[in-house]
Amino acid sequence: MTTEALAGLVFVPLVAGMVAMLLPARAAGVLVIAALALVPVLLWPVTLAVWHGGPVLVELGGFGPPLGIVWRADPLALSMLWFTALVALLVSLHALAGFRPETAEGRRFWPQWPILIAAINALYLSADLFNLYVTLELVTLGAVVLISVGSKSVAMIAAMRYLLLALMASLFYLLATALIYGQTGTLDLYLAGERLQDGTLAAAALMLMITGLLLKSAIFPLHMWLPAAHGNAPWSVSAILSALVVKASLYIVLRVWFWTAVGIDTQMAATFLGVLGAIAILYGSLAALVQERLKMLIAYSTVAQLGYVMLLFPLASTAAFRGVTMHLVAHGFAKAAMFLAAANILRALGHDRLRRMTGIDQKLPIDLAAFALAGVSIMGLPPSGGFLGKWLLLEAAWARSGWGWMAVIVLGSLIAAAYVFRVAALSMFGSGRAGRVEVPRTLASMTALALALVAIALGFAAAPFFALIDRGLPPGMLP
Amino acid sequence: MTPELLVDVILAVGLVALSLRVVSGGELFRDIVVFIVFGLVVALSWARLGSPDLALAEAAIGAGVTGALMLMAYRRLASRSGGASGDRSRRLRLAAPVAVLAGTAVAIIGLAALGIDGASDSGGAAALAALPATGLGNPVTGVLLMFRGLDTLLELVVLLVVLLGAWAMMIPGPPPALHLVSRDTPLVAALLTIAAPLCVLVAVHLLVVGADEPGGAFQAGAVLAAGGVLLVLTGVLRPSREAGPVIRLAVLVGPAAFVVVGVSAMAFGRPVMELPGLWAVYLIETAMMISIAVTLSLLFGRSGGFRRGGP
Amino acid sequence: MSSLAVYVVAAAAVFGVGVYGLIVADHVLRKLLALNMMGSAVFVLMVAVSGSAQGRPDPVAQALVLTGIVIAVAATAFALALLVRIHHDTGRVTLSERGDDDD
Repeated sequence: MTTEALAGLVFVPLVAGMVAMLLPARAAGVLVIAALALVPVLLWPVTLAVWHGGPVLVELGGFGPPLGIVWRADPLALSMLWFTALVALLVSLHALAGFRPETAEGRRFWPQWPILIAAINALYLSADLFNLYVTLELVTLGAVVLISVGSKSVAMIAAMRYLLLALMASLFYLLATALIYGQTGTLDLYLAGERLQDGTLAAAALMLMITGLLLKSAIFPLHMWLPAAHGNAPWSVSAILSALVVKASLYIVLRVWFWTAVGIDTQMAATFLGVLGAIAILYGSLAALVQERLKMLIAYSTVAQLGYVMLLFPLASTAAFRGVTMHLVAHGFAKAAMFLAAANILRALGHDRLRRMTGIDQKLPIDLAAFALAGVSIMGLPPSGGFLGKWLLLEAAWARSGWGWMAVIVLGSLIAAAYVFRVAALSMFGSGRAGRVEVPRTLASMTALALALVAIALGFAAAPFFALIDRGLPPGMLP
Repeated sequence: MTPELLVDVILAVGLVALSLRVVSGGELFRDIVVFIVFGLVVALSWARLGSPDLALAEAAIGAGVTGALMLMAYRRLASRSGGASGDRSRRLRLAAPVAVLAGTAVAIIGLAALGIDGASDSGGAAALAALPATGLGNPVTGVLLMFRGLDTLLELVVLLVVLLGAWAMMIPGPPPALHLVSRDTPLVAALLTIAAPLCVLVAVHLLVVGADEPGGAFQAGAVLAAGGVLLVLTGVLRPSREAGPVIRLAVLVGPAAFVVVGVSAMAFGRPVMELPGLWAVYLIETAMMISIAVTLSLLFGRSGGFRRGGP
Repeated sequence: MSSLAVYVVAAAAVFGVGVYGLIVADHVLRKLLALNMMGSAVFVLMVAVSGSAQGRPDPVAQALVLTGIVIAVAATAFALALLVRIHHDTGRVTLSERGDDDD
């Protein structure tokens, strides 16, 4: 039963996308949403199995390491799968309003979208370095296709820059995979970890792999492609990119770092990555503060928020690991809410210039509320999920007497508060009144609000979440 | 130096020299041709490394299809503008640091790779050990279909995603006809009557022998696609905008066959993605060949579908 | 120096040349040529470092490369479709920095 459910996580959305290519437009939309609604149902038996019996392993085709591919559902993978499933479902409802299935954009969006989800799910399950490469390519290409479904020139140029850098990054990753396979004779994440000795080869492979993955996850200073791509993507797609797609490559970094590179001395590299994260937090937040357009502001906020994940490497403790997983999930919900709200505002006003938004608090109250509530989680105010994530990171830094890390975390939150309040202030008290306002469909506004509420509610659901995470902490983690 | 080693050194030097030629800037059209030559040298290197499977694939897909796609795109880009002027200052500013960076990368990769001493208990050894039980003779086919089938399935999905993307990028209006050569000339007519059936014949041969000898669905699909490209270039098939149900089914049949066989294994209490026998390998490979050939032809024609050209 | 080592060195060099070309070239088509050469270099390296069994290269490495080649051609095909469309709409074949921020 568990195996069937696990397979369903990948095959149900995949088949839905394939069948959607054959169906009339309206039926395709219904089918895709039905399939994505089935994913959380399938997650239940898997979650129960992991809760009671630890990680679930499936050897595909009956062949295990060193030859075959293994799917491995552990707590970290499960939390990402749950988060993806819920965001995907809500974003689908939002997409219905803007990418109506019978329009040209809708016809492009709906078959592609569940295939992207299938690829992301396959990525979270895979414990095989090369299989991860294939899923990563699938996610990247799927994301680039979604950026360009609107055929807007700015978006297509941003998509092209993203595509070229992402393909280069994949080749870095693949090269490292080649080195590791040559040395260890296996592609299995865990077996390769056991066989990999500390030395030049391991260091070079790890460096190439992490560099490639950080480029894909837009970690400073490899973030340059992200703002334009996320800020110019059409309708719900920005939310998909910022909430789901960048998390996929970041997840592989965590996997490789904490599960494969266990026998390798990574102390210096960990500090280096932490410093990059700290710069990302400060730079991204400051850049968000001075943006002229709402969607660009949110995109730079993503650059900053991804920086927090990097702090896990130098802090490397149970508290930090709990904090980062909570942060990943909470940021995903909050950022999806922000981008969906921004999409609604953009559609209603015909632009998203911050200086010409005054008055939207009256005309688009739900969207502004969704943005503000998501902002509560982004800036890390209690009782949100974002607060818990940052609080645990602070705790971890405190335990290590990492005053510098603590200062960065606090400063990042303060600047985040400033850019969220700036949007609120400009929309209420600014001088540039919004012109014609077309009230968006209620469904589109409600999905944004729902996502923001989930980000807040995560703060109350922390106990079971951490109980799950604690069942699969990486080996050798400090208490 | 043995003669074999000399050949390897010549090929290796050729690879580096050709790659330098391609990136050093100059006439773009010529550099695309140099790139295709580079692909052929890679194919020769595969033969020298003892992998005819890869030599076939590289020649057909790496050099062949990629080169054809590049030339086609070049023609599209050149037809409207005389080539946009490049931003030369940026190039000069970037060149030195990038060269240093790339040089460092080379040194690290080279050092690391030369230090590899290999593993005895490798996946490759396991594949050779597991092969006899499958009834296949070609271990590469075994890995692709039976031992690591999910990679192959997802790779077919990559092709599908890319095709959906290319359809989304289609330029509004009817797709321009591509035929460069008229069918009226006797030479072309003769070529068509020979080459088109030959492509099919070679493709089927590659597919069938793929179980035991070099070849398989990818190489067969690429050769079949080459036949399709020929039919497009000579105007026998004309690109059309809409993808009809037949085209859509042809594109989907490869991944669909793989999914159906792989998932239904679970109904018989077998592991997911297990293939029940050689018949399944042949079935999936045939379906894959069709999907790959049609997808590559559509990507080449930059079209949703095809219809028969006028006389 | 063995034959395999010759190919390892050549592959590393081509990879570096590809990185250089990808970053420095202006024309997107040339960037794609560089990217494809980087890909070929990774593939050659993969087979060259994974040793051989029974006189043939490691079958797993060969299968991975075969998969990689198809993914590379697919990605290239999409990038070209995107490039042709961008060129059709804007007349551009390069990716200079200006114009990111317009809506």
